[in-house]
Amino acid sequence: MAYLSMGEAHRRITDYLARFSDAVYMQDGHSLGPLFSVSSNSSQLLKLGDALNVFQDVDRLIKQSDKYSQIGEMVTPLLRCLRSYRTSNLVGAYNAFEKSANAFLQEFRVWESSWALEAVYTIVYEVRVLAEKADRQLASVGKNTEKLQAAGSFLMKFFGALAGKGPKRVGALYVTCQLFKVYFKLNTVHLCRSVIRSIETAKIFEFEEFPTRDKVTYMYYTGRLEVYNENFLSADQKLTYSLKHCNPRREANVRMILKYLIPVKLSLGILPTNMLLEKHNLLEYADIVQALKRGDLRLLRHALKEHEDQFLRSGVYLVLEKLELQVYQRLIKKIYIIQKQKDPAKAHQVKLDVIVKALKWLEMNMDVDEVECMVAILIYKNLMKGYFAHKSKVVVLSKQDPFPKLNGKPVNT
Amino acid sequence: MATETKTATEDAKMDLFEDDDEFEEFEIDEEWDDKEEWSEATQQWEDDWDDDDVNDDFSVQLRRELEEISAAKS
Repeated sequence: MAYLSMGEAHRRITDYLARFSDAVYMQDGHSLGPLFSVSSNSSQLLKLGDALNVFQDVDRLIKQSDKYSQIGEMVTPLLRCLRSYRTSNLVGAYNAFEKSANAFLQEFRVWESSWALEAVYTIVYEVRVLAEKADRQLASVGKNTEKLQAAGSFLMKFFGALAGKGPKRVGALYVTCQLFKVYFKLNTVHLCRSVIRSIETAKIFEFEEFPTRDKVTYMYYTGRLEVYNENFLSADQKLTYSLKHCNPRREANVRMILKYLIPVKLSLGILPTNMLLEKHNLLEYADIVQALKRGDLRLLRHALKEHEDQFLRSGVYLVLEKLELQVYQRLIKKIYIIQKQKDPAKAHQVKLDVIVKALKWLEMNMDVDEVECMVAILIYKNLMKGYFAHKSKVVVLSKQDPFPKLNGKPVNT
Repeated sequence: MATETKTATEDAKMDLFEDDDEFEEFEIDEEWDDKEEWSEATQQWEDDWDDDDVNDDFSVQLRRELEEISAAKS
């Protein structure tokens, strides 16, 4: 660090204090927000951090001034945070920031208008990000990580201050999205439920009135939750909403939405084009799509095996595994079409033995009983229409629409 | 060697607390035309792919397999 005189340090600190207090008195949220933006590593805040490590007696500086002492409860811990952050004491930085944010929240509750929302957004974001950094530091020295969890409970207070009636409610969805990020990271997604209920049951505020950026994020996360709960229709609707309204220049986000939307669409019998997979670098789905088109069970197995880790990590493995039934359906349909071309009169009778041999060719060893069981499941799930002639080990297909299409509906459960 | 193993387990532990698919933050003042007909990713889907075409390579091979079965029987 270059030499920093006491005078210069003092000047930087009083300059910051003046800007902070002006922003509060002028009710200028746009100027107040960046003053909380610790993790942005802006050169101004870093320089201030240096100054705070030279000029240690800030508390007295604040107490001595009437103007500054009124914002003292917010700004004193905030300066402590900036100083700790500058020296990479991230746990200290988080603890101090939470104190400052709490003092801010007390004031914010009293302010009637929503002028400070922009500052709220910055603070809420910083609470999450500083907690993550603190946890990373704790983990690196083998200590328990606990800050992100603390941040989750703390942010609920902000949610409470916003979720009521009035002009502040427009900010509630932003906090919700930050909470989702915390819960998904901590693997405590069940905690999403209460905030979702509060957002979705409120009659006082239309969902459409929230900012687009928050609606897109919200629909992405709730869509993922619907995937985990296997509510594919609802997942489709939410993820499609997110895709439709996402900034198309945010490629990383578009790709993430598609990563979940593709398995959902597949389970509804709708396939992505190759162009879509190529453009967004989602080729891990290409073989699965091909397997569905062909009725190629071998290819499906290989594709699942090849990308197993990836699919398990994102939680779509089980969804993809269930596509097997659709692939069976497609294979038997192909057998039926080939038979029909040869001998239309007998085509609707498919010998189980023929299916066994076709599966054997695809390296799947199933005996006649197992195949019968599988076909029974297809009939039960309305992927096939027909009945068994048990004695002759034949499945007799319905002459009308023997292989009903899903047409955007989930497989019967 | 011993230290290396330790780092590896720590990494794995930290890994549990990661969501690979964390949505990127939008800027607070980020704006885009949300009404714009963004057909690209929303229209790249086929729902009518399940046709009766059996001329692809896979079907041709399947046909050959089925013919072998019936040939063996007769």
